[in-house]
Amino acid sequence: MILNVEGISKSFGGLLATDGVSFHVEEEELLAIIGPNGAGKTTLFNLLTGHIHPDHGRIFFRGRDITCLPPYEISRAGMGRSFQRLNIFPRLTTFENVQIALFSTYRINHQLFSSAKKLVRGETEQILNDVGLYSKKATKGGLLAHGDQKRLEIGIALATKPDLLLLDEPTAAMSPGETEETAALIKELVSVRRIALIFVEHDMNVVFGLSNKIKVLHQGRIICEGTPDEVKADEEVQRIYLGEEETHVA
Amino acid sequence: MTHFFKTLISRPPVWIAACIIILCILPFTLSDSWTSIATEIIIMSLAACALNLMLGYAGMVSFGPAGLYAVGAYGTALVMTKTSAPFIVSLIAGPIMAGAVGCIVGWFCVRRSAVYFALLTLAFAQIIWTIIFEWYGFTGGDNGIVGLPTPDILFPIRNSYYFSLLIVLVALFVLWRIINSPFGKTLQAIRENPNRVEFIGANVKRYQLAAFVISSTFLGIAGSLYGVFSGSVFPDYAYWIKSTDMLVVCLLGGIYTFVGPIVGSFIYILLSKIIAVHTMYWMLFLGIIVVFLVLFMRSGIAGFVSEKLYSSSQSDKDASEVTE
Amino acid sequence: MAGQALSGLSVGMVLFLIAAGLSIIFGTLKVLNLAHGTIYMVGGFLCYWLTSTLSGVAGEGAFWIALLVAPVLTAVIGGIIEVALLRRIYAEEMLYQYILTFGLILIFGELCKLIWGVGYHTVSVPWPVDGKVFIFGMSFPVYNFFLIGCGIIVFAGLSILIRYTALGSIIRAVTFNREMANALGINVPKVYTGVFMLGCWLAGLAGTLMPPMSVVALGTDMAVIIDCFIIVVIGGLGSLSGAFIGALILGLLNAFGIYIIPRLAVAFGFILMIIILTFRPWGLMGKPE
Repeated sequence: MILNVEGISKSFGGLLATDGVSFHVEEEELLAIIGPNGAGKTTLFNLLTGHIHPDHGRIFFRGRDITCLPPYEISRAGMGRSFQRLNIFPRLTTFENVQIALFSTYRINHQLFSSAKKLVRGETEQILNDVGLYSKKATKGGLLAHGDQKRLEIGIALATKPDLLLLDEPTAAMSPGETEETAALIKELVSVRRIALIFVEHDMNVVFGLSNKIKVLHQGRIICEGTPDEVKADEEVQRIYLGEEETHVA
Repeated sequence: MTHFFKTLISRPPVWIAACIIILCILPFTLSDSWTSIATEIIIMSLAACALNLMLGYAGMVSFGPAGLYAVGAYGTALVMTKTSAPFIVSLIAGPIMAGAVGCIVGWFCVRRSAVYFALLTLAFAQIIWTIIFEWYGFTGGDNGIVGLPTPDILFPIRNSYYFSLLIVLVALFVLWRIINSPFGKTLQAIRENPNRVEFIGANVKRYQLAAFVISSTFLGIAGSLYGVFSGSVFPDYAYWIKSTDMLVVCLLGGIYTFVGPIVGSFIYILLSKIIAVHTMYWMLFLGIIVVFLVLFMRSGIAGFVSEKLYSSSQSDKDASEVTE
Repeated sequence: MAGQALSGLSVGMVLFLIAAGLSIIFGTLKVLNLAHGTIYMVGGFLCYWLTSTLSGVAGEGAFWIALLVAPVLTAVIGGIIEVALLRRIYAEEMLYQYILTFGLILIFGELCKLIWGVGYHTVSVPWPVDGKVFIFGMSFPVYNFFLIGCGIIVFAGLSILIRYTALGSIIRAVTFNREMANALGINVPKVYTGVFMLGCWLAGLAGTLMPPMSVVALGTDMAVIIDCFIIVVIGGLGSLSGAFIGALILGLLNAFGIYIIPRLAVAFGFILMIIILTFRPWGLMGKPE
């Protein structure tokens, strides 16, 4: 078991964003978290990565209590993440975006006098290759097309060598073709690197194609969980969520 | 033949070597007063580059760099006048004190970001100014400390020039190495997106504090050099207007390139000397230049030039792709 | 001692007027207007110019005409600055706004130098507030009370404007969320201009009220702007009541600080600023984001 979440809750003012959520994630599991907008998905991610701390409950990563740790410690422990709103380094090149993440992973980012150009070149290029951005390595991140920026995000997250990867809407605002490509890319990357994956998605094709477990979040609570087939068949889920999506996706 | 020249000109080390050669020959072609101005420009370049480590590379806008600059200047001046330590010790004392003060000030300041960070730096700089200004018995108050006992060998302006040039070149080289190290790259990433850097495993506050201390130390070197060069130190070295002048110098040249602040100090000091000769309203021109700069040339002169070069090399690339 | 307190309070009121303008401008436009002290100084020069020019015609009334006219003139200058210059850099980072307004300090400072020279000028305390008042056997200048009264009236007037009028709710909407206000059909650029002009009006008013107690001279803008920054930080960026309280605190600190530790009294304001920024950066009356 790589991640164990026990009864976490979080309110903002009067709003209960997360309400007693408990679940666990196994090694190399592919977990999708779905739910209508406002269900608390991004809040849940923020709780896991330490950007906000829960009011109640505990979070264990590889058996270690990470509930109150700062984000940089959780990242070092082996959790990687991409963000819903783009979170790359726009004025740095694609190459540098990934390279800097590797500096941090190898704990050499404090070095003052070595030349950055020469370090971890090979591995940086390897990652760029894996996410399909090798040809664009000298382009400034901010100038990439949207789809490429999303891939860069994934590349940066991979460079942190996570055991658990959190992807927040990785195919948002992509065309159907791009979406398929990105989903396939993610599947390949996590299986080759043997990473557990938790991802938030609205595109049901991606959800059912990529995951082997699904949890449905509604108003801060998990209302249903199981394999994709089980969730598809669940009536309550169909009513609350998939019902709206049917008219959407079909 | 033209191809040879083109490749020669496109290599930065060639430019740097050329500049250094020119700088070394310069005093022989200039009068003493112009050599003095050149020395000022060189020292200001270091101060501006030190500020730019925070400003352009780490994205930390400080309103109070002059405070640390003055600590360097006064540190050296005080050790020179109050103790009988050798000159080298006095020279080093300034930057060390600036770095130490930078540690304390930085610790308070990096806890906040953006506007609050800037206002904190301003407040601390003004406190430093107040201490210098009011502590008449120790710092000479608003009279400053004049007639610093610098070594006789530095008395001819030419020697002072070379002395400053040497130290500044070494300091700039060190800054250059720092900026191009993994640490420097991480600072740039922090500038772009501090939250993201947190989540690749770096303690952002620690890096920001380190940047603050390094910046303060190099500001201290510049302040110390200036005190030695001009033979005196005054409280307004720490005043907020001096800080704003430094910010203008950085913006003038361009904060996103290494040479930007150097170009900025060259133009700023040169302009101020030339225009001030002709009119007593030189500040009016500076104000207009500043407004123009902020509205139309935010990337500064060096930034503007490098953008033009980048886009022309891009269009060369595009053109060559089309013909292939 | 009481004289000190009174003097400190009345200077504090003038500082409140300037700081209120600075605070409102920051609260709504999110701009740190370094040139605000210079607008105050321009107000002072306009006051001097109007009183000296009109005294032949209007006698003692010249000052009162100046009190009416000078702030309007500074408001107009502010409007021109906002439309022509500031508007172009709202989208940019704070650094550029700071430096732009610094450029304005230089430009307007030099223009004042050009027009009125480098010497200092005085404006005499106008009738009918030029007398002395006797309380508990001590005499105090009436003008100090007049300043305090002005400050209180303006504070009250502004508070009523912001809290109870339609205009005030528009300003509050834009301050709270620019995009939302835009979506509601509010002409946000106009509101920005209006608020900036209001801030400059306040600075000009302060600039007109101060000269009888002090001098009109170059360089007064530099001293004032730093004090205003202290006030606005202590009180809370964007808070009107914060500016009022902050100004009172600073006025009294300046007046009495000299009795406690004479030479470091000047630093008290900065120390307080640091304490607030470290522990409660949104100020005494501000709201955490």
